[in-house]
Amino acid sequence: MKNFIGIIGTNSDNSTNRLLLQFIQKHFADKANIEICEIKNLPAFNKPEDKKAPYEVQKLADKIRKADGVIISSPEYNHSVPAILKSTLEWLSYTNQALIDKPVMLTGASYGRLGSSRAQTHLRQILDAPELKARIMPSSEFLIGYSLQAFDDNGNLTDQYKIEELEQIFNDFIKFVDITNQLVNTNDSHKKKATNFSWEEN
Amino acid sequence: MKIVGIVGSNADFSYNRILLNFIAKNFKKLIDVEVLDIKDVPMFNQSDDQTNSEAIQYLNKKIVEADGVIIATPEYNHSIPSALQSVLEWLSFKIHPLDGKPVMIVGASYDVQGSSRSQLHLRQILDAPGVNAVVMPGNEFLLGEVHKAFDENENLKDTQTTQFLEGCIKKFIRFINVVNIVESPEGMKDVSSTEDLNATGTIDTTIEGIDMKADDWVEQAAKATGAVEGDAYVKLNRGVLTVNQINHFLNSMPAELTYADSNNQFLYYNYKLEEDEMLASRNPAQVGSPLADCHPERAFSSVAWVIQQLRNGKEDVVRTKVPTHGPDKFVVHNYQAIRDADGNYLGINEYVQDIQPIIDWYLEQTGQLLTGGGVDAASGATTKVDTVSSATVKG
Repeated sequence: MKNFIGIIGTNSDNSTNRLLLQFIQKHFADKANIEICEIKNLPAFNKPEDKKAPYEVQKLADKIRKADGVIISSPEYNHSVPAILKSTLEWLSYTNQALIDKPVMLTGASYGRLGSSRAQTHLRQILDAPELKARIMPSSEFLIGYSLQAFDDNGNLTDQYKIEELEQIFNDFIKFVDITNQLVNTNDSHKKKATNFSWEEN
Repeated sequence: MKIVGIVGSNADFSYNRILLNFIAKNFKKLIDVEVLDIKDVPMFNQSDDQTNSEAIQYLNKKIVEADGVIIATPEYNHSIPSALQSVLEWLSFKIHPLDGKPVMIVGASYDVQGSSRSQLHLRQILDAPGVNAVVMPGNEFLLGEVHKAFDENENLKDTQTTQFLEGCIKKFIRFINVVNIVESPEGMKDVSSTEDLNATGTIDTTIEGIDMKADDWVEQAAKATGAVEGDAYVKLNRGVLTVNQINHFLNSMPAELTYADSNNQFLYYNYKLEEDEMLASRNPAQVGSPLADCHPERAFSSVAWVIQQLRNGKEDVVRTKVPTHGPDKFVVHNYQAIRDADGNYLGINEYVQDIQPIIDWYLEQTGQLLTGGGVDAASGATTKVDTVSSATVKG
């Protein structure tokens, strides 16, 4: 059994990305324990001089550190990810670098047809920044378009093809976690470099 | 011109704020910049609409009233800061002050990248339908290693960087004017009617009684006026030459010269090459024709626009480059106003030139190299500003 953290990439009360992560949690309960984390109560990042993570941020970082992998589900705002998700990632990169070398899988849902495609591309680029250096699973795009119509009353995805696609990606992710850990263990110097990263002294 | 400068960071200390203050101070003769902070704007939350809060309404009002917006962004994690992202989310949720607004992007960062990746993200975000800003293309101003870039008075140390920035600002002013036309009902307007391109009027020098469109207009007009030719002497300011000498002299000019009078009649060109050898083709039978007969109808509006700039005294010269001659030539059409001593508009001197040989000669003589298109942002070039956009010159 793997232990994963699922991060809902929005602070909105109503979110189909929350529904999607809840569905993933339920659907793969025999393969992984997934704890779903909200970021809506995190303070907005403001680059404090003391570089201290606020309590809520530290709590999330500790959970990420302990987890085998992270699943982020993000909506799309203005061709990109919501500011609140970006703010969360800024906290992590600026204070404790909890995502370094952490295997990450991305999913996304949107009300429109495109299913958060541009947001996912931005999110990949952001997570790939040296200050974050997450290990994002490549070649695995999972998009839910028309997400308001995608779930039934019990919060289950109704499209069987989409479920199969998700199962494949999720199985890949479990293997990806193991492979990444092998890769990461052989190269500890990356971690040191990224841990010492500073926006000021690069 | 009123410009709002938005500091893309909510940090207490921000070099992007310093950069915007520098722009406001240094280019105040060109634009009137008010620098605005986003520190007080709350984190966007669609479940907690704060569109009506003071901070957001203040930004909204300032942007709506401005002619254009300059956004200065740092780079956090290959992207723009969440604080800026949050502002743009508020400004695309219930209100849309940036819709159709001309926007210029600048950015500064501590590393050599100078906010290169965040600027691209910002472009994509500003292009989203909810924001719908009109972002100036090209003219990418990236200020890398920003902690070394300013002196103690918060002025940019490097004069070339300042010059490049000034060039970007001047382009932005033009861009705002262009966007205003695009966004206005006038944008669709055909301005060809502002000029009498068919030369139906007459001016003091118009040679009347001859069909302007006749192939032998020159011969007929010369006969009607008793024009001198050949070895006849003409007194000029200042000199005396024969007509032949004047012809040879004009033909030796390193440009194709055309004279159209203020009645929009094509009166002269320095005929030395046949039509298909010219940079801008003319043929002997065209001389005498109204300008409407020398251009396709779809060009009438632009022709009229150019003449208006010169006739109204808005410009003394309008230039346009014509890229269809291949990479070895840089062909410029110059429309120079001809005016009398009192400044009255007499017509156009259109001179068409390939200026590439002049540029090459200048570089050879001075040992200078052109930078710009050749500077590679990724290789950490020593110049602080990567002028990736200026593709017209190659080093």
